[in-house]
Amino acid sequence: MDWIARVCRGFEDGSAAPEPDVIAELAEHAAALHEAARADGCSPEDADRLVSVAIQRWRDEAATLTRPVRRRPAVAPPSTMAPARLLGAVAQDIGYALRLLRREPRSACLTVALLAIAIGATSALFSVAYGVLGRPLPWPGADRLVVLEETRGGSAARFGHVSNTTYLAWHDGASTLAGLAAWSTRLVTLSGSDEPERIRIVAASASLFTVLDVRPLLGALFRASDETLPVAVLSETLWRDRFGADPTILGRAIELDGQPHTVVAVMPAAVAFPDRRTQAIVPFVVPPASANSLSMFEAVALLRPGITVAQAEAEATARGRTGVDAGMTAMAIFGSRGPVRVTAQRWVDAWTADVRRPLIVLLLAVGLLLLAATASASALQLARTTGRLRELAIRAALGAGRSRVTRQLVTETVLLGAMGGAAGIALAAILNRAWLVLLPVDFPRSGDIRVDAAVMVFAAVVAVGASVASGLLPALRLRRLDLVSTLSDNGSAPVGVGRHSRQARIRAAVQVVQVAVACVLLVGASLFGRSFMALLTADRGFDIAGVLSSRLSMTASTYESPERRFAIVQHALGRLGATPGVTDAAFASEMPLTPGGSTSSLSFTSPSGEDVTAQAAPRLVSPRYFAALRLRILAGRGFSDADTSTSQPVVVVNESFARRYLGANAVGATLPMAGYAPPDRRPVETTVVGVVSDVRYVDGGTRSQPELYYCYLQLGGRLPVRTVTLFARTSSSSAVIAPAFASVVREADGRLVVDLTMPLEQRLTSTILARPRLYAAVLGVIAGIALVIAGVGLFGLVSYSVSQRSRELAIRVALGASRGSVLWLVLRHGIGITVAGIVVGIAVAAAGTRLLATQLYGIAPHDVWTFVGVPVLLLIIAGAASLVPALRAATTDPLRTLRGA
Amino acid sequence: MGMNALARELKRGSTELLILALLEERDCHGYELAQQIDARSRGEISFHAASLYPTLYRMEGKDLIEGRWVEKPGQRRRRYYRLTKAGTRMLASQRSVWDTFFGALDRVARIRPA
Repeated sequence: MDWIARVCRGFEDGSAAPEPDVIAELAEHAAALHEAARADGCSPEDADRLVSVAIQRWRDEAATLTRPVRRRPAVAPPSTMAPARLLGAVAQDIGYALRLLRREPRSACLTVALLAIAIGATSALFSVAYGVLGRPLPWPGADRLVVLEETRGGSAARFGHVSNTTYLAWHDGASTLAGLAAWSTRLVTLSGSDEPERIRIVAASASLFTVLDVRPLLGALFRASDETLPVAVLSETLWRDRFGADPTILGRAIELDGQPHTVVAVMPAAVAFPDRRTQAIVPFVVPPASANSLSMFEAVALLRPGITVAQAEAEATARGRTGVDAGMTAMAIFGSRGPVRVTAQRWVDAWTADVRRPLIVLLLAVGLLLLAATASASALQLARTTGRLRELAIRAALGAGRSRVTRQLVTETVLLGAMGGAAGIALAAILNRAWLVLLPVDFPRSGDIRVDAAVMVFAAVVAVGASVASGLLPALRLRRLDLVSTLSDNGSAPVGVGRHSRQARIRAAVQVVQVAVACVLLVGASLFGRSFMALLTADRGFDIAGVLSSRLSMTASTYESPERRFAIVQHALGRLGATPGVTDAAFASEMPLTPGGSTSSLSFTSPSGEDVTAQAAPRLVSPRYFAALRLRILAGRGFSDADTSTSQPVVVVNESFARRYLGANAVGATLPMAGYAPPDRRPVETTVVGVVSDVRYVDGGTRSQPELYYCYLQLGGRLPVRTVTLFARTSSSSAVIAPAFASVVREADGRLVVDLTMPLEQRLTSTILARPRLYAAVLGVIAGIALVIAGVGLFGLVSYSVSQRSRELAIRVALGASRGSVLWLVLRHGIGITVAGIVVGIAVAAAGTRLLATQLYGIAPHDVWTFVGVPVLLLIIAGAASLVPALRAATTDPLRTLRGA
Repeated sequence: MGMNALARELKRGSTELLILALLEERDCHGYELAQQIDARSRGEISFHAASLYPTLYRMEGKDLIEGRWVEKPGQRRRRYYRLTKAGTRMLASQRSVWDTFFGALDRVARIRPA
């Protein structure tokens, strides 16, 4: 029998017949039915009737007898796809990802912002660290460049690093050196064509150009035979800024401190020696060695290829010991007459030694910030993925392979990472500019800090790394995607599971990392900040608040006569003191807090009867100096207007001098005048009339030195110094008083200028304290960002946990739990995570602060206040971040939650 | 609710489970499936051929089972069905649902699965 025909006939009366494939299956069923009926003993008619009944029912259900067309996967898996189509699919992925991100801009923006800040900050700091510590110097053979330091009997010189005797003994025929150069920096007044200007210049032996192997931008550099000529090599900066890049500059005369110098060359800006402050180089003649005399300066040498630093040191030390004996002068300068020893250090190491550790600390700090931001971005992405699991599961159910769905996620993550990276690099460029403004002018190699290919590559690597890391958690989550459970899940965790699911634990761990990082950075920032405050408010022996200072230079030949200079200063002081708002006006030959300077040697008999040879720095001051700076008079008196040329010559010594050389009975002792002896060189005996407190440098390393103060009125109407610093203690705003400095000086002489007019506090923060302030500020900003990241992360985590546990919390309330206990339950969660983060963070910080120890002043690396204050701050932030979701949980109507669930 | 009505409701809910369970043992064609259900349930559950095929086609559409034509020597060409991976997972999940359901029934009404 043809069963197919039989079934077909059954569908003939109008109803739509099923497809042939279905007909065939039904026919096969009909045949089997007939066969079975016959086998059971039915008559052929009965068996036929059974088949007819079945066909009748099929016809009634004809509409349902269609075999659905199997859906093909929406996009075939990438492995089997042609490259062109793969590209198309990626473009499709990107388009889809962009639409998704636009739909959820908040989370996307947050992720991009997190990555941008972290990548930007990391790259900017890397550009600084690389520029200062890593970038090769622009000179060929720069790695063979060494700086020298000479010690005698183990003690270093008070100023300068190499003596002329050692330099000259080594200079000729040194077997380890390809070149040796002497140099020193000084400040001069540049005049001639324009307004006079104070500039920093380098006086150097002609060999400096050989050692640095520089080619001039213009002209010809001076040679050893020209060292006695008044010539000058200009820096490119000075040439451009002051002379408008004049190509005819060569041969022109400029005046440096009133002395005409002929411009012979222009140096390229790339070779800023020793740093970018240098505006010109003039010849320096190393004075010939002679008994009882030493000239100190800086020296730089170029090693022969293959020679080690130690070999050069050995040769220099051996040669140095053959030099002329400097006798008591060595005692005066080195504080010892012991044997010469020369040490060498690679130029770039010596140059950057002071900033190496702080930069490494900041780099580590910003690395931690990167870690926290990446972890935070990862947690955000994870939350986003979890929220989209249903969508992803449906896509998978519709035939998208797991790899396909994963690729979609990776595309989104990479897109966010790329956006974050691009924004980060832009931010790095901006931060880089900000850095250059913030950096103190004496920051080494600041000219080498820039965003270039190396920094871009670094930023790109960091961006890719951070985006991959931030996409890691979501990708792992996806690996465990379960279609059925995901689709049947209503989005809230089963009661009691909210905090213990695998995902909740991952999120908690990420949050612990964020809190720990914030903790470490806050400890560092707090230590740096407190150290800076300690430096700022340290007892310097005088009161810097409310004092304006200004420098007056009378270096030009016009002021050659000491009598003229005396008259100018006396006039200016009188006018300044009479200015309304000025309570005290004074001047000093040296700026306080400027370490170094010249010291003098003086021999006398101490009050206890011993013969003493003392080393002290002489200072020339006006009578009101101690009052203006509020230096404390510890014994006796300060100066007065009665101390004049006709009165008994007197001296005021500082605490260090009195303690070291005079003992308890300093006042009344007799000392020879040091440093400011009259022109006829006759010895002058002075009587100690007072002891004042030390001026403390408090910059971490410099110690107070013995000082002698003389009153300028006692020098017979002469002022033997050319540069003085004027001081005014003011009772009104410094902005009002500042112009007075310029005007009183101009009144005395129309051609005179003052510079560096600023409050002493500012002078302090822009010089000695500039770097501590910078480090504290940068670390503070980094820590602040980390704190915000931790706080926002905690808020997100607790909010999410509350939404997951809403049913559990509602049941608790319904069963009689008080609002307070629910509030505490949620708060406890956030605070628990914070405590875990604090424990980790404090442990790491306690171990890491050793790195900071040498950078801190007046504060212990394990400062109790910091180590207590930071956890307290973090707990407060954690409490605040958890409080909002906790309050929401505690005030929700439990019935509504339960019905809604 | 009369006995027939209950049987109808239960059958409707359990059809897929029965088919999946049978296909788990071995691949079957439609007629065979109907016979097996009839025999195993001792006639308590029987399928009209009319409702069997729409169910099979629906399950095939959901990718729970997969049908293909097989021609064995000395037999007519027949369409055999077998479980897919999704079908295997669905069977496990349905078994656990029914297990839970019967557990609850037992606890509440002292009704035990056979």
